[in-house]
Amino acid sequence: MMIKGYEVVVGLEVHAELNTKTKIYCSCRNSFGLEVNTQVCPICLGMPGTLPTLNEKVVEYAIKMGHALNCKINRICKQDRKNYFYPDLPKSYQISQADIPLCADGYLDVIMDGGEVKRIGVERIHIEEDAGKLLHSDKFDGSLVDFNRCGVPLIEIVSRPDMRGSDEAKAYLETIRSILKYIDISDCKMQEGSIRCDVNVSVHKPGEPFGTRCEMKNVNSFSAAVRGIDYEANRQIEILESGGTVVQETRRWDDQKGISVSMRTKEDAQDYRYFPEPDLLTIVVPHEKVDELKRTLPELPNAKIMRYVRDYGLSHYDAAMIVDVVEKSAFFEKCIEAGCNAPKLLSNWILGEISKFMNDGTAIEETKLTPEKMSELIGLIDSGKISTAAGKTVFDIIVKEDADIQKIIEEKGLAQVSDDSALEAIADDVLKANEKSVSDYLNGKTNALGYLVGQCMKASKGRANPGKMKEIILSKING
Amino acid sequence: MKLYEYSAYELSEMLRAKKISSRELTESVLCRAEEVDGKVNAYIYTDREMSLKMADRADHLIASGKAASRLAGIPVGIKDNISTKGIPTTCASKMLENYVPVFNATVMDKLADAGCVISGKLNMDEFAMGSSTENSYFKTTRNPFDNDCVPGGSSGGSAAAVACGEAVIALGSDTGGSIRQPASLCGVVGLKPTYGSVSRYGLVAFASSLDQIGVFGRCVRDAALLQDEIQGHDSMDATSAHRSYPSLYDGLNDDISGLKIGIPSEYYERGVKPGVTEAVMRSVKELEKRGAKVIPISLPSTKYALSAYYIIACAEASSNLARFDGVKYGYRAKDCDGLIDMYERTRSEGFGREVKRRIMLGTFVLSSGYFDAYYKKAKLLQKRIQQEFDDAFNSVDVIVTPTSPSEAFKIGERVLDPLAMYAADICTVTVNIAGLPAVSVPCGYSESGLPYGMQIIGRKFDEQTILNAALAHECSFGGFRKPAI
Amino acid sequence: MDIDIRHIAKLSRLRISDDELAGYEKEMSDIIAMVEAMPDIEDELTVDPDNAMTLRSDETVSEKIPRDEILKNAPKVVAGCVVVPKTVE
Repeated sequence: MMIKGYEVVVGLEVHAELNTKTKIYCSCRNSFGLEVNTQVCPICLGMPGTLPTLNEKVVEYAIKMGHALNCKINRICKQDRKNYFYPDLPKSYQISQADIPLCADGYLDVIMDGGEVKRIGVERIHIEEDAGKLLHSDKFDGSLVDFNRCGVPLIEIVSRPDMRGSDEAKAYLETIRSILKYIDISDCKMQEGSIRCDVNVSVHKPGEPFGTRCEMKNVNSFSAAVRGIDYEANRQIEILESGGTVVQETRRWDDQKGISVSMRTKEDAQDYRYFPEPDLLTIVVPHEKVDELKRTLPELPNAKIMRYVRDYGLSHYDAAMIVDVVEKSAFFEKCIEAGCNAPKLLSNWILGEISKFMNDGTAIEETKLTPEKMSELIGLIDSGKISTAAGKTVFDIIVKEDADIQKIIEEKGLAQVSDDSALEAIADDVLKANEKSVSDYLNGKTNALGYLVGQCMKASKGRANPGKMKEIILSKING
Repeated sequence: MKLYEYSAYELSEMLRAKKISSRELTESVLCRAEEVDGKVNAYIYTDREMSLKMADRADHLIASGKAASRLAGIPVGIKDNISTKGIPTTCASKMLENYVPVFNATVMDKLADAGCVISGKLNMDEFAMGSSTENSYFKTTRNPFDNDCVPGGSSGGSAAAVACGEAVIALGSDTGGSIRQPASLCGVVGLKPTYGSVSRYGLVAFASSLDQIGVFGRCVRDAALLQDEIQGHDSMDATSAHRSYPSLYDGLNDDISGLKIGIPSEYYERGVKPGVTEAVMRSVKELEKRGAKVIPISLPSTKYALSAYYIIACAEASSNLARFDGVKYGYRAKDCDGLIDMYERTRSEGFGREVKRRIMLGTFVLSSGYFDAYYKKAKLLQKRIQQEFDDAFNSVDVIVTPTSPSEAFKIGERVLDPLAMYAADICTVTVNIAGLPAVSVPCGYSESGLPYGMQIIGRKFDEQTILNAALAHECSFGGFRKPAI
Repeated sequence: MDIDIRHIAKLSRLRISDDELAGYEKEMSDIIAMVEAMPDIEDELTVDPDNAMTLRSDETVSEKIPRDEILKNAPKVVAGCVVVPKTVE
């Protein structure tokens, strides 16, 4: 993406909260949205004398992500302290990783809207602890500290400056989120802050070296990342165009106002005084464990999309839509397993009717719908045994109750009538009652045919096979 | 003889034989404290009612035959940097003057399970930084042998209390000599165990990679008894060692024939007073008479150990003590004008001068541009020092040195000269840097009657061998000598 | 060597008064002079695989300290939260 003759260079640091049962360094529950300061213990409050113990699942989850992003796994590594004072950081240092991250030197292939593949380098993935939250109120002179989030495990995924604009950044972020969900290590709820990012942006003329970069903090959604990158690129280009120079600095993105403001320049950059965490010893993950985590990695979203296109003939767009939601893709695959052999029709139903109730907040498993029933229903529609409209009636029932599809069809009389003599009788009645339309059709008004078929369908209460009905009417009119 | 004057192992027998009760013993120790602590200033906190309640519980335990531990009913003094649930834990700092922990250190849980009685919390240098106990915010502990002299530090309260009968045994902590040096200056036995053998959970951190909880007693047997109770792996401390921890007390044996004793020349050079060297060498001769073999060795990097120690310890301390910021617990400056003002005033008013100096030194050596020149170099030296010890232990079983280069010095004498004060740790810091166990035992007295100490250093997790050597020495030298207080 | 005590104090969140400054400068310089006698060692810091730790299994513990109890040492608490001077970054 070029803006006014400049190339935009973007690097991203994504922080994702892991969905382990307990926090990274203590046995407190790792859960969001509970009452303030109820998910805390002496350890995550940094009380004098307390010590951290590293949660093994955090290491495993981070390695899984490392495998998913094709990283080298540093199975022998350590943790370091990052020292800074802030009220939401009880120990006044964050336990993180400095020179030896758990995973390094990987890449991620993202599929752009046009279908072309772009490879983005991943510099590192490391584990660290989250901080608490400051709460503010205009009515209150002071800030309140809620420590519940202290010690929630995070992975930080640092990309290389390989993205060339906000479109690639967006595709990268969406792919990262999708992977996190597929390997089931993060809930990825943007609004709950479980995935956040810092954005690095610079601009330069093609052929020239990279420009000075600015880091933007407080980017709390993917759409904010897009807006922030575009804003920042334009800001830098304007400076350069008017003969100025870009200053290396940290800026804060204000999404409401749509602007970034300077937080601090390179000169007063913080000195974090990193050093090895003396309360923890070496992290040593056995070779077998590293291999096992790779072996048990599920199929990743990009591979899935490509397989759906290749094996099931779905459009790239539909495949991506299904894959985007783990539950939808799991249901899709279970239906195929249950014998559904009309994948495109199945995909339409998943993106249509099933998505409708899921968007209202109902999970598939909360309904009575099973892959077996869905496959049966799709089969009946696909073979013309029932109409799409009748299918919808059946669907609405099997979502709500554990009912036998054949029985529903019988009881509600939903079976399509394909029997020639019955259809012919209906056609005769309709043609007799609509002679005007027949003559219209014969005079070249072809859309009169649709009207006639519609009347037949109505007369059959929707049960007539529309294809067959059309054939019969045509043969009768054309004599 | 009063009850408080007996050794823990003797009292243990008496309690089990029901010749005495824990209540009587505890009363005796508390009375002794009331009697002499006005002079000695060993305790920061005592609670008679609490201690007697614990004593009654112990008596009940013993009476019902459920007392599994030899220490059931024995009063133990606790250095005030060990977290005690519901009992103030101040680290002798204004910063934690009103802090009452909501959790117990692992060692406190162990002592509670054993049925021990807490006799009180003991004075120390603020946050364990110092070698004289003059850096306490509350008071200066005095040496029981001469009230004008320091008891050593930082566990000066623990050493003094044990020496004058205000506690039977006590817990201390040792980062660079803070158990052994005051033990030496107060004429008692002090054991700094191998790093990782006693859980640090609940020990308020000074330098995490060097800190270790250890014990004081008036004799080797008592030190072994208390160490038996607190050692062992703890899943709450990631640096705690997985291994078996057999009873040291049961393993005590004063037969040291064939024991190879290394004498490193570097520890008998610069600044070590002739009287100290003579006392140590005399004791080594006695050990030789008991069948030990003396082998001269060299630990050439010793002269850099103090530098490496101060860099590593202060770097870690600058980070460990950053949590005292006035937000969640402890002191907060009054009428703050914004966050930075609150931080700076809280920390400047809450910490004493020595603590501030070490925090700044640690901040400096970790700061941008200096890490390699100081911290990294110190860590590389640490590796070299460890290697030299490893090599030495290929040819010897224990290494014997003075504990402190001199006897107790006068209160106030070194307060204004940090380097002179730091020199008090010159013989002890290497042991922490190498993570080894070492015990200090009294080995002589100056002309003015102040104790000298001898340090016996062992291989990692070989507390048994150094305690056996210490026991053999104790047999030759004679037992604890009471201060004339 | 000269140490910028003011800068170091700021990083440490300590406030050093003018009359304390000279004293700290002297003492720190003395200590730094001592530690600068350390020899150079041509080597890199490494991670020791033999010094491995056991990781904690991801299980919650039932024992919990009530909020009032765990915040009882805090200098100021309002509505279950610790209060600090107004802080917005």
